[in-house]
Amino acid sequence: MAYYDKDVDIHADGVEVKKSCCYFCHQNCGVLAYVKDGKVLKIEGDPDHPTNSGGLCCRGNIALQHLDHPARNNHPLKRAGEKGEGKWDRISWDQAISEIAAKLCQIRDESGAEAVATAGGTLRTEDWARRRFMNMFGSPNSFHNALLCWIPTFMVETAVSGWSPFETDLGDSRCIILWGMNPGASSLPGMRGYTDLQMAGLKIVVVDPRYSETASKADLWLPLKPGSDTELSLAMLNTIIYEGLYNAEFVQNWCEGFEELTAHIAEYTPEWAAPRTWLDAEQIRTAARMYAKNTPSNIQWGCTADQLGPNSGAGMHARACMRAICGNLDCPGGDLMPGPSMGYYCDEEIEANDWLDEGQRAKQIGSDRYRLTSWPGYGIIAGIAKEKWGKAPTAEWMCEAHGPSVFKAILTGDPYQVRALIVNATNPVNSYGDSKMTLAALRQVEFLVTCDYWMTPAALYSDYVMPIAGALERPTIHTNYGVTDSILCSQRAIQPMYERHTDYSFWHDLALATGQDADQWPWDDEEEAFFYILSPLGYPVQTYDEFVENYRFYYPPLHYYKYGDKGFCTRSGKVELKSSVMEEIGLPSLPTFTPNAENEIDNPEVAEEYPLVLTTGGGYMPFHHSEEFQIESVRYLYPEPRFKMNAATAEAYGIGEGDWCWIETRRGRIKQRAEIDQSLHVDTVWCGRGWWYPELGINDRDDPFGCLDSNVNVLTSVDAEHCDPIGGSWANRGLLCKVYRCRPTEAGINMGRVDTAFSIPGSAPTPGIHVTPSEEPRAYDLIAYDPKPTFDVPEGLVWDKGRKVAWDPASNLVYDPESGWLYDPATYVYYDVLTRYAYDPEAQNLVDMGTGKRYDMETRAEIVGGGDR
Amino acid sequence: MAHYGMVMDQRRCIGCQSCTVACRAWNDLPLDIIYNPVVTEGVQGAYPNVHETWTPLICMHCVNAPCVACCPTGASQKDPDTGIVFVDSAKCMGCKVCVNACPYGARDTSGMVSHLEGYVRKCNFCRDRVARGEQPYCVATCHQRARIFGDLDDPGSDISKLVGSVGTYRLLEEYGTEPSVYYIPDLGGKR
Repeated sequence: MAYYDKDVDIHADGVEVKKSCCYFCHQNCGVLAYVKDGKVLKIEGDPDHPTNSGGLCCRGNIALQHLDHPARNNHPLKRAGEKGEGKWDRISWDQAISEIAAKLCQIRDESGAEAVATAGGTLRTEDWARRRFMNMFGSPNSFHNALLCWIPTFMVETAVSGWSPFETDLGDSRCIILWGMNPGASSLPGMRGYTDLQMAGLKIVVVDPRYSETASKADLWLPLKPGSDTELSLAMLNTIIYEGLYNAEFVQNWCEGFEELTAHIAEYTPEWAAPRTWLDAEQIRTAARMYAKNTPSNIQWGCTADQLGPNSGAGMHARACMRAICGNLDCPGGDLMPGPSMGYYCDEEIEANDWLDEGQRAKQIGSDRYRLTSWPGYGIIAGIAKEKWGKAPTAEWMCEAHGPSVFKAILTGDPYQVRALIVNATNPVNSYGDSKMTLAALRQVEFLVTCDYWMTPAALYSDYVMPIAGALERPTIHTNYGVTDSILCSQRAIQPMYERHTDYSFWHDLALATGQDADQWPWDDEEEAFFYILSPLGYPVQTYDEFVENYRFYYPPLHYYKYGDKGFCTRSGKVELKSSVMEEIGLPSLPTFTPNAENEIDNPEVAEEYPLVLTTGGGYMPFHHSEEFQIESVRYLYPEPRFKMNAATAEAYGIGEGDWCWIETRRGRIKQRAEIDQSLHVDTVWCGRGWWYPELGINDRDDPFGCLDSNVNVLTSVDAEHCDPIGGSWANRGLLCKVYRCRPTEAGINMGRVDTAFSIPGSAPTPGIHVTPSEEPRAYDLIAYDPKPTFDVPEGLVWDKGRKVAWDPASNLVYDPESGWLYDPATYVYYDVLTRYAYDPEAQNLVDMGTGKRYDMETRAEIVGGGDR
Repeated sequence: MAHYGMVMDQRRCIGCQSCTVACRAWNDLPLDIIYNPVVTEGVQGAYPNVHETWTPLICMHCVNAPCVACCPTGASQKDPDTGIVFVDSAKCMGCKVCVNACPYGARDTSGMVSHLEGYVRKCNFCRDRVARGEQPYCVATCHQRARIFGDLDDPGSDISKLVGSVGTYRLLEEYGTEPSVYYIPDLGGKR
């Protein structure tokens, strides 16, 4: 290694500069890669990139250590010994693909395509290709950890407002609430923007139980009780409505259900929320006034919203209402709703969703319980969007199987036996809730394939491990889950090293090997696929590489108040504060409080043994989820797991700084080292996520890589009664725990025995399967939805339960029971119910739009001559 | 003639350690050498009235650099054209006098097996990048723009404007080293 006197000259002849990007989180910061003879010599932040302007965080700077790390998977591996033994045969990519394909086809023939499931990772794969493969293969069971990360929020907000208003237009904003979001550790380019604007006058409110990096710069910090975000949202909404701080004009013109909402949330006063949030009622009012009086203002989504367990959805709904009634939707400085791209091909257009028939859709695991984020709700929302725009939100992400339910199906065969699982770019033991159950499912599944950079616990138990190429070895494209209108592109710096392939290659090759039509997979590599995606934009380029070289990104001009043209993308064309979509799929149509998974008010018997409140799931430098634990040059910053607690609590428990402690919930216990943090409430415990110890190897086949030792997901819950019936997300925040020091024989990594016994439900006092998943109690029952017409439906018309209207499917005309006429919902032209002739209000007669002939209003006799004006 | 210096804007620094890792990656340094740590005293105060700030450290490239004055071989030098303090590795015999002389602990001897092998290492404001008109790498990589680099002798430079217009302080000014690195304090989270 060269120290100081660098022997690498990036300015030498023959060094090419490729416009790559960082792939260690979702920001996709621009990276310049200096390449010579197929090797990357050096990387640095791209000063001309719109996201990062040259900046790179610690993760971004270790791209070269990641690229050729000795622990990377470089060749396809086939299991040689027992599952989990770590004995492998090295085989070729093609052999691995054909053997995997044969096994998948065999399972499909024997048990149906739905017996094959796939799990995806974060937003750094071509998962439209995975969806395309799965749709054509015939299985509805692909899933992500997406239910913990924005997807439920997107779907609730889309059900209410027609499209999630997620793009904050900060230049003209006066106040932003960073809600359970810490850009100071998880989106550093964004943090710079907030600081710049704050120095120019923007007010920043941070909602976080922890005094985060971002909270340290905030104008108002609300250190609420972990997991009580929904209570805070409801009380803020109550304040805004009952103090009259909303935008009455917008509510009048563009909102439906305001009166019902007003009555419904009357009970959620700041005084009601105070004991549940550990905030003063006055603090809650201050925050509500700050947001509602300083419009245009924004609420920036944070992962917290999706990780609260059973009451997550109500909070999303309340915040969607807050944004709307304050008039912040799609206005300058407000929360913008980009809608699907009308420029390039959206992900949904290349997912081949039409290939999956209704019968297979109905078999999607979890879609009976978590209807909004699976086929029932997505189908309605996609239908409305297609009617309005001709395009729909991405199905991969927004319409998926429920991950924990798939793991339970593997273990129990309920609702049916899932026999094969392909794990791509995810480390489920660390990232899904209830790790002991998840690990048991990975060990038990009949056929497991893992595609990853590293040997993970899932890879260890796999039958095949496929080596995957990273950011420098592949081109990338970023469209924010395929639901925005801009696109950000980067080049491949070098071809994949060793026998690595990209995830796109994997799905492409597997598709062909399972007999899918080559015509359906016309793109041999990402560059071809991406060029196809971009082609409607009409840039004068011949290749994808050329686009990146010359343009790199496409941001359409900002277009405010889009709803002014066509209305909002909802059934009514207005913001549905009382959501008809939610109502139709049996969910509360107004934001309705449900208690947390566990809390001292509703579950005093649990709180007696577990008196502290746990929060986890938040990001912290230098890791991203469970990644980068292998890279020494960042791991040194955070070599061991730490949890934080208040000094007074620590003293009361006899815990000192750095002590190894057990943190225990009803599901299990883990150990981390104590960090005394004066900024936490005396009853709050913050626990670092993601921990495993790749350096330990297969020290213990029951606990490979120490993946259960310090992994906070041993503590979290995926019990059905702890999952949100709206979004399906499970409980990471606000769980009850206790903390105590480890005995000397246990204090350290890899010391003492680890409890691996799982139970269903996870909170059961003894191991074992106590209840089948389909009989697990839920947080609350779905509400039967079967509205009957309140009027007589004229002959020839059909009753539509969703829209609660009678209509004529052939002509798309809707019946107006008050007048007894039909009307066109797009043009509001009225039609005669008997003849389907249009009413001409000026001439006071009827027109047959097909022939142009005119008829008398009363007699319906044709008016011959003179009828034309 | 120039006098390069740096401003650390603590109103912007969030303690992400990006500069620390970036410097090591760019300069191919081993794990145990850190030119520019970011330190903090942790959270001050008690819930819910607290604050926390971070202090990025680096070689101060002092005008009166004690490490230059004490060097017996002339390896430790100050570039008269830029004001950058650097070590000529060919001349360094590893006696470590400069390591003791530096009041900021900015010189690293890790990895030196004996005083006959290796040489003392330190930040040189990325002289090669600066010579090409680029920013030092820690400055370029800082997402938060908490580090501002430039010529203190040029009254039109961003750094001169900043030092002249907001309250700044320097570390251990009482030693008379005249450090070229200025700090803008973060007064506890509120501005």
